[in-house]
Formats: sequence, C-alpha cells, structure tokens
Amino acid sequence: MFKVFNAILVCSVLAAAFVLYSLEHSTRGLERSIAKTEKQIINEQERIKLLNAEWASLTKPDRIQKIAGEQLHLQNLKAQQFIQLTDIDSRVPISPPIKLEAQAADAIGDMLEKLQ
Amino acid sequence: MRRGSKVADRRQGGSVLKGQNRIRLLGICFSTAFAVIALQVGQLTLRHHQAFANPEIAQHEPRQPRPDIVDRNGRILATDISVSSLFSDPRKVIDVDEAVELLTANLPDLDAKTLRQKMRQPGRAFVWLKRQVGPDERDAIYNLGIPGVGFVEERKRIYPQGRLAAHTVGYVDVDTKGIAGIEKYLDDQGAIYTASLSQPESNTSAPAQLSIDLGVEQVLTDEVSKAVEKFHALSGGGIIMDVETGEIIALASLPDYNPNTEDKRLTSDQQNKLTSGVYELGSVIKAVTFAMAFDYGTANFKSTYDTRQPLQIGKFRIHDFHAEHKVQSVEEVFTNSSNIGTAKMALQVGLDNHMEFLKRVGLLDRLITEVPESAKPLLPHNWSKLASATAAFGHGFAVQPLQGLSVIADLINGGMAVPPTFMKRSKEEAQALAHRIVKPETSEKMRYLFRRNVEIGTGGKADVLGYRVGGKTGTAEKVIHGHYSKDKSLASFIGAFPMDHPKYAILVMLDEPKAIPETHGFATAGWNAVPTASKIIERVAPLLGIEPKFSEDDLAKLAKQNKILKREG
Repeated sequence: MFKVFNAILVCSVLAAAFVLYSLEHSTRGLERSIAKTEKQIINEQERIKLLNAEWASLTKPDRIQKIAGEQLHLQNLKAQQFIQLTDIDSRVPISPPIKLEAQAADAIGDMLEKLQ
Repeated sequence: MRRGSKVADRRQGGSVLKGQNRIRLLGICFSTAFAVIALQVGQLTLRHHQAFANPEIAQHEPRQPRPDIVDRNGRILATDISVSSLFSDPRKVIDVDEAVELLTANLPDLDAKTLRQKMRQPGRAFVWLKRQVGPDERDAIYNLGIPGVGFVEERKRIYPQGRLAAHTVGYVDVDTKGIAGIEKYLDDQGAIYTASLSQPESNTSAPAQLSIDLGVEQVLTDEVSKAVEKFHALSGGGIIMDVETGEIIALASLPDYNPNTEDKRLTSDQQNKLTSGVYELGSVIKAVTFAMAFDYGTANFKSTYDTRQPLQIGKFRIHDFHAEHKVQSVEEVFTNSSNIGTAKMALQVGLDNHMEFLKRVGLLDRLITEVPESAKPLLPHNWSKLASATAAFGHGFAVQPLQGLSVIADLINGGMAVPPTFMKRSKEEAQALAHRIVKPETSEKMRYLFRRNVEIGTGGKADVLGYRVGGKTGTAEKVIHGHYSKDKSLASFIGAFPMDHPKYAILVMLDEPKAIPETHGFATAGWNAVPTASKIIERVAPLLGIEPKFSEDDLAKLAKQNKILKREG
C-alpha cells in the first residue's frame, strides 16, 4: 500500500518537475522574444522618427518652391481664378487639353527621371 | 512461557502503537506545513499577482523623451533622433593598420593618418573616432567586427525645416536643454505643459503643436527676404496673425540662422527683432490714437482738423510729411497720415486719458508670449503735452513690433484684446482669455478707415483684388546718436484682410530701405513695405482659405487689366 503510494508520489514529483522545467524554459524563451521584439519596436520607432524627419526635410516648403519653380513654370494663383462650385461645368473643357496617351510619353515621369 | 511471551507481545504492541502515533503526528505537521505553503503560493499567484507586477515597472522608469515640435498641420519642426557615435579603445585594438584600412573604406571622410594616431595611444581607454554616424554606416562597421571599436548611442535634436520658423522654434544646447524660443519655453515656464504631453504608458510624448503654418511661413520668409534684397534694407521682418484667436500663423525675422549648425554664436542682427527688439513704429500707431478718440467720443467722422500750420508745443513744432495745407476731415487725416491732425486728436482726449488708453491696449507693458525673447517698451520719461502729441503718431515711444500688430488686431477684431500666442489655440479658448478694450462701433470705424487708406490713401499699393486688404503705413525716422535721422528710417505696414470681416492681420517691416529707380527715389513705406505686404497677401490668402469677393470697382479694374493684356498679345 505505502510502496504504491510512494511510487505514485515519486512519479508525480518527477512529472511536476518536468512540467515546471518546461514551463520555465518556455517562459524564458518568451521573455527573450519579448525583449527582442521590444528592441525591434524601439528600433522601428527610431527608424520611423528618422524617416519622418527625412520626409519633413524633403518636403520643406522652400525646397518644394525651388523645385516647382525650376520644373513647373507656374504663376501665383490670382483671386479671380477662383470660381464657384456651381460654375464648374462651364470651365471644364470637353476634351482634355493634353492627351497623355496620344503623346505616348509620361511627361511627369520624364521630369522625375531628369531630377534624379 | 506462553504467558510470558504474551506479556512481551503486549509490551511490544504498545511500543508499535506509540511509534505509529508519532508518525501520524509528524504526518499531520508536515501536511499542515505543506498546506500552508500551497495556500500561500496559490494566493500569491492567483490573487496578488498585480501587486507584484506594478512596482517592477516603477523600479526602472525611463527618462521621458523631449516632445517633438510640430506646426499647426502636424509637420515636424523639431524632433529627436538617435545617432551612433564611433569610439575606439586603443588597448584592445589588435591590428591598427587593418582596422584603419577597414574603417576608412567604410567612412571615406575619415582621415587615415589622424585615425592611426588616435588608435596608437596605448595608454588611453577611450577615443572618439567619429560623432554621429548614420545607421547604414553603423551596421556596416558592426559587420566588420573590428576588435576595440564600438558605438555609443546618443540623442540628437534636429530641425528638419532648417531656417524656416527658426526664431519661433529656438534651439537646444549640447545637453538638449532648450536655450531659445519654444525649446526654452518647454523647459521653463511651460514645464507643466510639457509634462501634460507625456504619455507614460507608452513612454512617449505627444508633440507640442505650434500655431505656425509652415506654408504661410515659407511665403512670408521668401517675400520678406526678396524685399530686403530689393530695397537694400539692413533687415526685415513679417508677422501674420489670426485676429480672432491671437495665434501667430507665421513670423519671419531676417537675417535668420540655421538651427542645425553646431556653432550658434548669433550676431545681434540674427536675433528675433520682432519680439526681442523695440522700435518706434511711427504712423501705424496713429490707428491707436484714432481708436482712442472714437472710443472717448472726442472725434467722429464729421470732425475736422486744421493742418495748415505746424503744431507748436513749447519749443517744438510738429510738421506733416505729406503737407496738405487745408482743413482735413478725420478720414483725410488718416489717409494722408497727418501728424498735426493726429496730435490734435490726442490733445483733445487729454493727457490722463491718453495714458490710460495706451495702458488699456497694452502698449505700456512688456508683451509676454511663449517665446522667451521679449523686450520691454521704451516710454517717454515724463508724460507731458509734447510726449502725448508725439506718441499720438508713434514717435517717442518704442514697442515690440509684435506688440504693435497685436494691438491693431485687437482694434479691428471687434474690440476684444486677445493675448497673442505661438501655441495652437481654439476659438473657445481665445474667447475665454479675451476682454473688451474698445466698443464694437469703434472697431467698425477702424475697419472702415483701414480699408479706405488702401483704397485711396498711403497704403494704395497693398490692395490685392478680391481680398479686401486694409492697413496703415508707417515710416519712422530712426534715432541715430539721439537725433532723428533724415535718411535712415524704419518702414512698416500693418494691415488686415478681408477688411469686411477681418480674419488675419499682417505686419511687414523693413529697416533702412533705400530708394531704388523703381520707387522714383522714394524710400517711404508706401513704396517698399506696402507692395511686399501685397505680394504676401496674394500668395497666403488662398492658403488661409479666404474666399475672394469682387466689388464693382474691382471688376472694372480687372476688365481694364484684361484689355491691356489682350492688346499686348
């Protein structure tokens, strides 16, 4: 009676020890992956910040103005060029003035290529 | 024998029983002990686990990052990035020549000779090789695996917009402590505001949002710098402000500086002259005198002023720049910018009332905004009849240009004083801060005068068809060695648009503009500051969402322009 009971106890201790060990092992693994992911998140956040800063400096208005001035040759918007939404029908040409397909060329694409 | 054994048996049986009892007692002791431990473990893991989780986080609380600074549309003005700096521990370097070769191959701007010298110092444990290396180069050097070479992470504050809005944003020192502009505000009086931005659960900070609009800022900076160049001015400045909320949409003071440069020994020219400098604004201050006379009821549109003779006060004579030699109506006094007429208006109001009004609109006190660089006004030492008469047309007392603009904005927005701010502010917040300084009718009259001055008066060149610009010019002779100079002046224009219901106020200031052939030898504000303001308004009004409206006169002018254009082809 006692022998059987003791045997069961020993087995359950072994089983419990195994479960405990494997749990601890997987917990350590998870902790490692959490630490790794957290580091990745921080790295990504830093990268996002860097890219945001780069984007801000690439889209800064004085740079855009310079490029637009060199490439687009547009004039300042005049007050009289604004129209009411209801008048828009009379202002839109029936056929587009520049037919991109007919030109068989991508004007904006060419411009961008020239920039680089 | 049998009996004897029985006795022995009984004796033995008693001791067995005794032993079993002991074991049982021991068993009970152990099982209670185990039960207590099990209970405690169960309680700690199931019920109190949170109590243990929290102090764990509190133990190593990381430093709150410095908030980014963004404009009113969320575009970045200042941000922190992490940079790596390359260092070497010369004691651990095995092959100096190989290390130098590898490093110079990856970082071409490193000089091989100095690098070799630095790494051949066996006594030292730490030398910087290169500060602030980019992330790609850092990874490349990591992959080389050179012994005795490593990186230290550093934070660096950068300003992606460069010169734009540099005076507002300010800058930080090497320890990322703010020492100018909003950066200083974030560290000083605005510390509570900065703390409110931090989000502890994600260990980040919400950005500090300014009232500046970068698009408008660019137009203002661009046009003012063109004007400074064109009129050979010493310096220039411009401000655009929302008259209802007091938000400063753009502020440019030229010459400016790039906050990204390491060496920030700024010359006095590069300071923010619009808040840290005081100037005699000249005739633009006449608007304040007019508002005062209307508000006290000593003048109305039917009043007339005799400007035929210079005004004599004691030994001094007050002359008119554009002498008309006639009796002028209030409207004419304003549009011809008559010093004599304005001085007479101020004298009618009286010395005490004049002083009280200047105090009420805030021209006698230092204007304090978030930007810490602010100057105290320079006021006349004794408030005499002469001081009052000259102050009426903006001479004898000097204020921050921003202060001048803010007062004019208050006079035309319906008469409510709204403190100017560099931080984004809603209309409700502004209303809570506002208080009345003049009657709504006075404000209405001022709007009419400002618009009239652009239609027929000295501000004629400010008009942009469709945007109903109004404003007042000022050409103040500069004080050089205690005397008013005849040829050195400060030209300014303060205006607003659209004048039927003003939304934005604008100030343009040019220090010592010169006459050029295009201005027919004139160097007064009407010929330089005013056309500059006109160009700025033409470009910013669409950005600020002002709907163009055309009067009959405007349409006639447009038709005439179109005809000329057609004739020219």
